[in-house]
This record gives sequence, C-alpha cells and structure tokens, in this order.
Amino acid sequence: MNEVFSFGSYYPGESPLHKCDARTKLVLGFVFLLAALCARDFAGLAVIAVFVGFLYAVSRIPFGKAMRSLAPLMAIALICALLNLFVDQSGETLFKWGIIEISTGSVRSCLFIGCRIILMMMGMSLITMTTTTLDLTAAFERLLGPLERFGVPAHELGMIMGIALRFMPQFATELVDVYHAQISRGAALDGSPVKGLRMLSSVTIPLFASVFRHAEVLSSAMDARCYHGEAGRTRLHPLHYSVYDAYALAAFAVLAAGVIAANMLL
Amino acid sequence: MIDCSNVRFTYDGERFVLDGVSLHIADGEFVCILGGNGSGKSTIAKHMNALLVPDEGTVVVDGHDTADDEFVYDVRSTAGMVFQNPDDQLVASLVEDDVAFGPENLGVPTAEIAERVKAALKKVGLVGFERHETHALSGGQKQRVAIAGVLAMQPRVLILDEASSMLDPRGRKGLMRVCRELNGRGMTIVMITHYMEEAALADRVVVMNAGRIACEGAPEEVLTRADELAKLNLDVPYSCQLGLALQATGVAAVPHVAEDAMVSQIVGMAKAAGVLDESGRERRIAPADDAAEDVGQGEVLLQFEDVSFSYTKSSKERGRKKRRDAVAERAKWGNDPDAVWALHNVDLTVRRGEFLGIAGHTGSGKSTLIQHMNGLLHPSVGRVLVGGRDLADKKASASAKGRVGVVFQYPERQLFAATVFDDVAFGPRNLGFSADEVERRVADSLARVNLDVEALRDASPFELSGGQQRRVAFAGVLAMEPEVLVLDEPVAGLDPVARREFLELISGLHEQGTTVVMVSHSMDDLAALCDRVMVLKEGRVVREGTPSRVFMHAEKLNEIGLGLPAPQRMAYALIDAGVPIAGDVLYSIDSLAAAIAVALDGGAR
Repeated sequence: MNEVFSFGSYYPGESPLHKCDARTKLVLGFVFLLAALCARDFAGLAVIAVFVGFLYAVSRIPFGKAMRSLAPLMAIALICALLNLFVDQSGETLFKWGIIEISTGSVRSCLFIGCRIILMMMGMSLITMTTTTLDLTAAFERLLGPLERFGVPAHELGMIMGIALRFMPQFATELVDVYHAQISRGAALDGSPVKGLRMLSSVTIPLFASVFRHAEVLSSAMDARCYHGEAGRTRLHPLHYSVYDAYALAAFAVLAAGVIAANMLL
Repeated sequence: MIDCSNVRFTYDGERFVLDGVSLHIADGEFVCILGGNGSGKSTIAKHMNALLVPDEGTVVVDGHDTADDEFVYDVRSTAGMVFQNPDDQLVASLVEDDVAFGPENLGVPTAEIAERVKAALKKVGLVGFERHETHALSGGQKQRVAIAGVLAMQPRVLILDEASSMLDPRGRKGLMRVCRELNGRGMTIVMITHYMEEAALADRVVVMNAGRIACEGAPEEVLTRADELAKLNLDVPYSCQLGLALQATGVAAVPHVAEDAMVSQIVGMAKAAGVLDESGRERRIAPADDAAEDVGQGEVLLQFEDVSFSYTKSSKERGRKKRRDAVAERAKWGNDPDAVWALHNVDLTVRRGEFLGIAGHTGSGKSTLIQHMNGLLHPSVGRVLVGGRDLADKKASASAKGRVGVVFQYPERQLFAATVFDDVAFGPRNLGFSADEVERRVADSLARVNLDVEALRDASPFELSGGQQRRVAFAGVLAMEPEVLVLDEPVAGLDPVARREFLELISGLHEQGTTVVMVSHSMDDLAALCDRVMVLKEGRVVREGTPSRVFMHAEKLNEIGLGLPAPQRMAYALIDAGVPIAGDVLYSIDSLAAAIAVALDGGAR
C-alpha cells in the first residue's frame, strides 16, 4: 500500500538541493519545464540530460531508487511517444498499411518526445524527492501570497493541500478495508453493469461518509488547538533563502544559455 | 481551576443535553467523569475548553469566562483537549509538524516551538519520533502524539474525551501511564471514560446521567455502589464484583476498587480464620501439557494446513512458491533475512457448532489470519480449506465468501445503501437469490439482531445511532446465512452497556447453532464465551486449547503481554499468598467467591 506513495516521495538528505528553499525549487522547476520544451533537437536534449544528471549527482539520491519510483509514470511517457509514431510523417516512409504510416521522421519524433517527457519527469521528481510535503505546501502558499489581494485564499489553499496530503495514506487504507468488507459480502466487479455500479457505490459512499466524519472531528481538534487562520501564525520550519538558492539560479542560467546555444548552433 | 455553574445546554433547541450541571475542579486534581451514552459527559467536556458555550449558566476556566470571545484562545490553550478517534486529530504528515501545530497557531517564535516540541514528545515517551510519519503509527502512539500536540501549548488542564476507547489494552495502559505522570507533576486531568480500571485511579469520580450529576466522590465511595451504577448503565470493576459476590455468599467482605486491596483483604480474612498456608506457590497446578484433550466432534468447516504468509513477496512469486515443495520451502527460510512473514505454520480447525476465540495483540497476525478465512488473501505456503475445498481454486474462493461470513472491525463504516433494507440485502443479492428469498433473509437477519424490520426498512443507515448501525452491518453478513461467522473485535469502541448487549447477541447466535470465530483482545470475554481459544504472537500459534488450558498458564501469557481474565488473576494472587483454593480450575467471579467462602468456612470449623 505504501508503494502507491513512494512515487517521488521525500528522500531525506543534506545535499545542496535539499537545502534550497522550496520556493526556489518550484519556480526553477517551472523554468526547467520551459527549457525542456524549448529544446528543438537531440542536441538540446543532451544539454538537458547532462544537467539532470548533474543535479542527481548533487542531490546524492541513489539513481536506482529514483528510477524505480518513476516506473509507474513510464506508461504515460510510452503512450505519448507511441502516439507520435503515427503523426509526424516527414522523411522516407518505412512502413505503410492502409492509413497507418511510419516514417523515419515519425520514428525520430517518437524518440524525441519520449526522451523529453522522461527528462521532464526526472527533473520534476527531483523536486518532490528533495522537499518535504510541508515545505512544498508552504512554498505554494507563499508564492500565491501576492494574489491574496485579488481574493485568492492562499493560506487556506496551502492548509487544504497539507491536510489532503496527510490524509491520503489513511484514505488509501480505508479504501482497501471497505473494499475487503464488500468483497466479503459477495460483491464483484465482473457481471452486469448494474452490479458493477452497485459495487462501486458500495466502496465510494462509505469513503465519502468517512471523509465527512473525519472532517467534523478534525475541525473541532483544530479549533481546540487555537487554529484561527493565517493571522499571527508562526512556523516550526520557516522557509528561508540561502546561498544555495543563488547557486541554483546560477546553474539554471547556465542551463538556459546552453539550451539556447544548442538550438542556435546545432 | 474550572468552575461550571448551573450549566444548561441544548444542541437542537428541544432536548437539554445538560440540565443544570455544577462542577468544580481544583488545580492538580485527577477527575474522572463517567456516564452512559447520552448522559452529557462529552458535552460538558466540550464546554470546558470553549468549544461549546452554555445556553444558561457559566463556565469559568482559570479565571476566564468561556462565553467571553476575547479569551477564547486563552481558554483553549489553558485547557487542552484530546478526542476519541486517534486518526482525526493529527493535522500534519510528520509527528514534529503536528505537535508544533498548536504553538504555531499561538504565534510562538520558531526557536521556542522546537523546544516545546521536544519537551512535549519527551513527556509522552515518544522521543526520537520527530520525523516519523503520522499515518504509520499505532493507535496508542497516535493518541500520545495528540497529547503531545496539546502539551506543546503548555496547558494547565488536560481534558481527555474518551481518548482510550478506541485503543487496545496496550495502548490504554500507555495512555494511563502518561496521564498519571503528568498529574504527578501537577497537571489537572479531566478524563471522560467508561473504563472502570481508569476511573479507579482518579482522585474523584463524577457520574453523570441525563444531563445531571448523579453522584460524585472518591472512587472507593462511588464505584462500589453496584446497584446505582447498574441503573446508570455502568459496569462495576471486577474486584468490586468479587466483593459483592462474597457478600452474597455470606462472607462479610467490603468491596474494594483496587484488586490488590481486595486480595489483601481476603488474605487477611484467611489469616484470621487460620486457614492460610504459607507455601502457596506450589499449589498452583496447571493441567499437564500432554494431557489428552478432547478432539471435538462435528464436521470440519474451516481448516488451515501449515499456512504461512508474507506480504513482501510479489503475488507472482507467491504463485511460484505454492507449486514448489513445501519442505524445500521451509529449508529456505533460514536464508532469507528480508522476508517478513505475517503468519508462520498456522494450523487451525473449526468444527461445526463450536465457538473459537483468537487472542493476540494488534500486529500478531490476527487480521491477516481472518483475511485468509474467506479467500481475501491466499497463503504463501500451505492451504486453507473451506468445507473440504482448497481456496486456491477460484470457484471455491468465490463460494467461500458466502459460506464464511466475516464482520470486520467497526463494521458500521461499510454501510452505503440508501435504505437499511438495501444495505442488508446487498449480500444475498450478490449471491444471486430471488427477490422473495432476499426479502425473507433480510427480515430474518434484522430480527436476529433485535432490530424492528418494519420501522427501519426504509430508514437511511446514516440516520441511525452508532449501536444500531453496527447491528445493521452485522445483519448484512448474517443475511448471507454463512456456516461460519468470523468476528474481528466485534465490541471495539463500544460503551459497557452496548458491549454487554452485543456479546449476549453473539452468544445467542452461537446457541442457535452458528459456528463462531471471534478475535478479541479481551481475555475476560474469551474466557466467558469460547469453547476453544487460540493465542497468536507474531504470526505463530503459541497456545491452543480450552479456556481452562490456555488461561491457566499465567507466565506464558504474561510473557506475550496478554493478561489473564480478571477472576483468574485474582485467584492466582490469592493462591500465591496462601489462600487454600484449588489451583487447577478456571474461575469466574461467582465460582471464585464460592471457593473463597468454602476455604474461609473450613477454618471456622
């Protein structure tokens, strides 16, 4: 059950990447995605791949572990890549059968997209692996902060995200328990659609009921611990910028330059 | 410290849940508030930390009136509250972040928060757990984290609203120890509970009924008034029960709340009667381990053959393992340090008509065992047979669901349908019965759990009371008319009255012929109801046999961390001290009282 949440989950460490402020990581993560999308050729991807490799080395996260945690998402990458086999039709045709056509251009495109998606996922999962969920929600909240004057409830959103993340493993367990209980009463997913729907509702409705039950007590418990919103609230682990953020900015400047150079020169 | 004056309160404007409660709690006191369902005990607790404000009357906490908006946060940080459900109070994913939640809300500077978190975790005995994930903790640990979270606000009063009712005995003991230590250092403790053992340790006991205080005083005064407590739907501690039973046999015993006091009193009486035998210990005879035991009669309904199970192997590997030779498999175990085996070599037989009890702590493999019984899980090694058919066969596994009915813990959590009728009918409909047959079964099963079919058939399950919901969930399994009924901690989280009613219900079902397997961590319940008991520890069966056989081996059970049934515990204490009662019998309260009376009588002659 815990495997579901091991994707990109926090891997404790003291590397420069861990020490960067979570806000820096979120913003630079966005920049990284842009950079990856700007790369026009394999040369550009190579620059990005080197960069990603460099970051993994800096973060001191065991590569094998990181790859294993990415495994579930490989399916998406594969599907996206395969779809491209049938779209871009430049270059000489390798195979044709009816409307299905594969050419050198589409093979190249497929490989390119596949590599790009994988690199993007590797980069993004570095963020979740070096940042605790608490810091991520805090960063999210702070970054949305300026929008509060326009009515966006940044603090509340951050709180909601934090509580949702805290309860996800619990609901996963409860889902399995309810599922077992209903299976033990003979429910099964095969059979008529009506039965299948009934089966689904027998699992989802108790979960909804439990969500409301938890929410009611949780809000009393939060009240009892004097929760009253953002005003006057301090933090055990406040976010703060450090020299590592400066290094990160510098590194990304180099990356951006590298990608642009690769696009222009090669 | 806390002053409630003539508090009256209603939730819905009609029924006054609190009807004139005046209660004074002094600084440093340990007060237990007892009461049945609906007595208002939780409601008065919520008034003490300003979660609720009285409609009439006042509540003053440390000089602040709770009705005054300005002081709400002062009141709540002075009187911290811990709730019943361990899962519902933790806000953050990591322990230290959750404990810090309170001080963060109070605007405490960062450095001080860290200090408070460390201090709070030390007080609850969870040093080193700072970076642990909250969802991975046990129930008892979660409650202690909740207490730490409250302690970090540096309160002067700790209010526990039935905080131990969802914990197992180990968790409850840990919680009581924390409370006693805190009280020893001067914290005022207000404990709402229905466990007599906890009430026995308080400075003062307050009993509530129908929104008013029925009686209050020292535990010795209040908890010995058996008739009054019975009228208020509360239980009497076992030592008191013994005292009262002795009185019934004509012995002039005074009921005591603490077992030691009761035991010493009886020992004193034995000495005075001249029957005390100083060489007590040798007389504790247990039946020989190799004594022939009656192999029960009756058709074998459920059987486990050398079952072992590990969660860490992938299902593909498990499939491969089943085809290998089991002997070779056993040889391999020694070489596999990474395997985590939830069950080891379990052999189990359930015959028609018997009542099998399974004892063991959380984590002993009980849940895994239950999930094997109806085919939810398949063993890594060995076989499970239902009605003689191996559950490895898909068809046998599917039919096992109808033949072995499993009621999981907190079964009311699985209710989902729009009406009670539909929910109970879910099982029979899945089994493919005709509408008439389904109708008959639903009516029958609802009647068996003492619910009125006509009144409730169209009611929504979510509108029923907790006890009724659990009965509906029970009925849902009974409606499949299983041959074996498996119950996982059926009375978990219930108050004494509901517990008694449910156990009577289960006993009644057994008498009507249902074969029952009950998992419980209450030795007293198992001793009272079961034909046979099996004790599990870390996935192995360590003890099996009739209750007499199993519960007379005090040392072994204590090693495992399970206690003895209370009457047996007291009997052994008496034998050890030299009171001449038989050492080879499993006692109930009444039989123990009779034996003591006879022993004391022997000296009088």
